[in-house]
Amino acid sequence: MGQCLRYQMHWEDLEEYQALTFLTRNEILCIHDTFLKLCPPGKYYKEATLTMDQVSSLPALRVNPFRDRICRVFSHKGVFSFEDVLGMASVFSEQACPSLKIEYAFRIYDFNENGFIDEEDLQRIILRLLNSDDMSEDLLMDLTNHVLSESDLDNDNMLSFSEFEHAMAKSPDFMNSFRIHFWGC
Amino acid sequence: MSESSGSALQPGRPSRQPAVHPENLSLDSSCFSSPPVNFLQELPSYLSIARRRMTVHSRDKQSGTLLKPTDSYSSQLEDRIAENLSSQSLRNYALNISEKRRLRDIQETQMKYLSEWDQWKRYSSKSWKRFLEKAREMTTHLELWREDIRSIEGKFGTGIQSYFSFLRFLVLLNLVIFLIVFTLVLLPVLLTKYKITNSSFVLIPFKDMDIQCTVYPVSSSGLIYFYSYIIDLLSGTGFLEETSLFYGHYTIDGVKFQNFTYDLPLAYLLSTIAYLALSLLWIVKRSVEGFKINLIRSEEHFQSYCNKIFAGWDFCITNRSMADLKHSSLRYELREIDKMVFGENLFILYLPSIVITLANFITPMIFAKIIRYEDYSPGFEIRLTILRCVFMRLATICVLVFTLGSKITSCDDDTCDLCGYNQKLYPCWETQVGQEMYKLMIFDFIIILAVTLFVDFPRKLLVTYCSSCKLIQCWGQQEFAIPDNVLGIVYGQTICWIGAFFSPLLPAIATLKFIIIFYVKEWSLLYTCRPSPRPFRASNSNFFFLLVLLIGLCLAIIPLTISISRIPSSKACGPFTNFNTTWEVIPKTVSTFPSSLRSFIHGVTSEAFAVPFFMIICLIMFYFIALAGAHKQVVIQLREQLSLESRDKRYLIQKLTEAQRDMRN
Repeated sequence: MGQCLRYQMHWEDLEEYQALTFLTRNEILCIHDTFLKLCPPGKYYKEATLTMDQVSSLPALRVNPFRDRICRVFSHKGVFSFEDVLGMASVFSEQACPSLKIEYAFRIYDFNENGFIDEEDLQRIILRLLNSDDMSEDLLMDLTNHVLSESDLDNDNMLSFSEFEHAMAKSPDFMNSFRIHFWGC
Repeated sequence: MSESSGSALQPGRPSRQPAVHPENLSLDSSCFSSPPVNFLQELPSYLSIARRRMTVHSRDKQSGTLLKPTDSYSSQLEDRIAENLSSQSLRNYALNISEKRRLRDIQETQMKYLSEWDQWKRYSSKSWKRFLEKAREMTTHLELWREDIRSIEGKFGTGIQSYFSFLRFLVLLNLVIFLIVFTLVLLPVLLTKYKITNSSFVLIPFKDMDIQCTVYPVSSSGLIYFYSYIIDLLSGTGFLEETSLFYGHYTIDGVKFQNFTYDLPLAYLLSTIAYLALSLLWIVKRSVEGFKINLIRSEEHFQSYCNKIFAGWDFCITNRSMADLKHSSLRYELREIDKMVFGENLFILYLPSIVITLANFITPMIFAKIIRYEDYSPGFEIRLTILRCVFMRLATICVLVFTLGSKITSCDDDTCDLCGYNQKLYPCWETQVGQEMYKLMIFDFIIILAVTLFVDFPRKLLVTYCSSCKLIQCWGQQEFAIPDNVLGIVYGQTICWIGAFFSPLLPAIATLKFIIIFYVKEWSLLYTCRPSPRPFRASNSNFFFLLVLLIGLCLAIIPLTISISRIPSSKACGPFTNFNTTWEVIPKTVSTFPSSLRSFIHGVTSEAFAVPFFMIICLIMFYFIALAGAHKQVVIQLREQLSLESRDKRYLIQKLTEAQRDMRN
């Protein structure tokens, strides 16, 4: 408890955050520490907010090709409060359950936010992954068709959430790759 | 969750042109176009899935619905409340923290309506879960090298990180093996030798054995030159031979404590069986997840497009150069994926094996050349290379052990009949074998250190400082080759497993060796290597490393079984001087059991039990295979039904849209 006096956080708040997220004590305190460094000085941490640019340029997200989508999914009204940041770190932590990760992965990959991952979303995902401007149209269509033929069970050219969930449950790499260590904690 | 129907798809948009199914073209794409998205969002199925996504995700429990304040006050039946207060914790909910807080408050107010018993049950399960979490948090602090492995993961991706996790696992395994051997064998001996407890050694004199068999010429430790001291240290001879490092030191038949006599030969054999069984169980347990994935989901799932695209990016990468490397490796993977050819040419498949037997020491280079002609997919290529190198390297251990075995048991002019083994050359053959294993381990360690210090490090210096020399720039820095490194540690571990019976302190040496190798490899990775541009995924590599380790373990068990049960134990040294073979300890101990237990053991190990048992196991296996086949059929049927239902749905929506349009006109 002596530790908490260094920070602005009360012990009860720390306990509550531990109960409501998948983060450990140390991780929550680390995130709190860095949050205080980034937000304007003098403000109480529960009222301060970070802009999406500030969160995008964190070391953990800086080189991520999906950082804009991550920021959009986890922010509220365009800004990040401390609890939004905690929620984001909780979903990406190692201890998070697979269903939670699949839920947020679906939201992140749904670029046009229509509730389905359609061809347009898939093409944008592929372009982000490859990070190259010279993609032939044929290769893009080919890859999209391959993905849809594997996971689109009802043949409607889109992945609904159930189909995505089913595909990710079979995917052996998903849990390993959908992890972020924030702030080196 | 409010779905913004931002850019709804245009109605009448042509559906996807399937790649190679012309018959579907006539049925699907011309008749039913994709329905507009906002229509789909009104369907009851979509709404209920959206509601379910907000709450508990569990496949086997009843999922509750999101509580709104109106619900909780309208229906106050106890079972409905109990169902809503599911035992899943609040963390699994896909809500932000303030919404979770509100939900928790609602749950807590609802708790009052439950009976005392239910309340107590919930409270105790919550505190039990909190206790488990605290314990888990404690153990993560104890996790060895946690920060190192995390920083490697961030800089180099999960492929290389899996190698270091594997190395950490081996350190722990060797430590536990050493603890087993220590408590069962070393501890009583040390307690008696240093007179910590009031115990004494029991030495049973030999009974009508030829005295010649018990002659063991021990080199006198007189004046030793320094260089011969070094030679002895490196090869385990001389002054090291009589120490507790080797089997020959334990020429003790028992340790007599105050109340009982500790049977040291039995303990020695049981410790060997225990550490082999423990290694097997631990490796199998660790690989169970990967194994389940590999069993149910075949090779195609690793290579599947879904896996490569949705789980293709390692979100934990923090390094710009590593991110660029990952982009280029994804480009390589996704473009090359169409050119997969799965081993059609058998002659090319067997050609490397012929080459191995002909030219033993240049095979790795030949492998690398051939693999380019074989044109396999990248993942398959890496695994095939590792397998070939593994078999080649483990073959050298096989050859060595086989040679030793044949030399020990064969001798000219019948001197073997006297003691059962070649007594002249190998008066204490177990110690000799232990010395060979010790030598192999030390030299392997020295070579790994030497290669890192004297090859990788100068190479890196040359590349950094000799930037004008074209040839050196072409050669480039050392790549961190995962297959070679994995092979090296599997080789070391196999030697440790074989040697631990003949040299009880070998697992401790192996632990230290792997700890030092971890730091050396980490240093080499960070400062002298560049990461390989080949894609190497963590999920299948974890399982694959453990599979290779299992091959090494099986290979280690074979010479151990032969030497324990076939080759007579040496009569001049060791705890088994009074037995014909090492295994004889067990039947002798069983014969001292009470007669009921003895007959039970005889029954269990007889053929009358083994054959029916084997048949029952086969029947159970066939049952499960048949069940799996039946499930597969059902899955195929359901999938077909699903796509038919979807076609019907689209047809109906189209009709509805047309009818609406007609009504408006």
